Amino acid sequence: MAGPLAPQRTPDIVVDEESDLDRPWVTVVWNDPVNLMNYVTYVLQELFGYDEPTATTLMLQVHHDGRAIVSSGPRERMEHDTSRLHAYGLWASYQRDT
Amino acid sequence: MRPFRRRGGDVVARLDPAEAGIVGLLLDQLEQLLAAPEDDVADDPVLNRLLPEGHRGDPELAADYRELTEPALRSGKADDLATVRATLPAAGGDVRLDADQAAAWLRTTNDLRLALGTRLEITEDSEPPDEVTDDEGQQMAVYYWLTAVQGSLVDALAAGRGGRR
Repeated sequence: MAGPLAPQRTPDIVVDEESDLDRPWVTVVWNDPVNLMNYVTYVLQELFGYDEPTATTLMLQVHHDGRAIVSSGPRERMEHDTSRLHAYGLWASYQRDT
Repeated sequence: MRPFRRRGGDVVARLDPAEAGIVGLLLDQLEQLLAAPEDDVADDPVLNRLLPEGHRGDPELAADYRELTEPALRSGKADDLATVRATLPAAGGDVRLDADQAAAWLRTTNDLRLALGTRLEITEDSEPPDEVTDDEGQQMAVYYWLTAVQGSLVDALAAGRGGRR
């Protein structure tokens, strides 16, 4: 419990989502029943330069949680990353980070 | 089929005549689907899977994305298809691929699996048929055969990447 000498808390600042320009965008890979696990790992290494353990962790996250964030940054770059994943048939989309 | 294996800088597999014939037919079908007039295939689930939405939930962003990226995605698929056709021994035999050709095979065999898997409504619990009794069973068998081909290609390429380090 806060005593009389405790600093006054600064109220949380409410940020309007549309004006939050610094919040990065992300590229998400979604689980699908067709893409092979070793294929997804291989493509993540190939496209993003991840080492095998990192790519495997992301692949398993897609497999078990249904999705994983595979890259983040400005919107244009996430569009580009999404299109590179689409060229390999991975089920990907980009969105604002939540 | 003898699965893909690393040989020098290339990967090599061997296809029976019947297998090469099936791949050729599937390539024709994929090409036709991608060339179909858009009105005829607007809601086709296979095409929607091969040319997916870029953004979920915002139709305007999704439309922008499609306009921006779909031409390159389509032409990439057409180039890959041409590469696979050029390296496929029509009467069966060795398939020998350099790195670029292997990448084209990887993407195209994946597209064929996505197309068949979507049509057959494959789920994570689907299993290869014990015996083939009808058309669907035959397509299932082809799907799982393609899975073996692509799986061996991924393994061969991944092994090669390990060796480069």
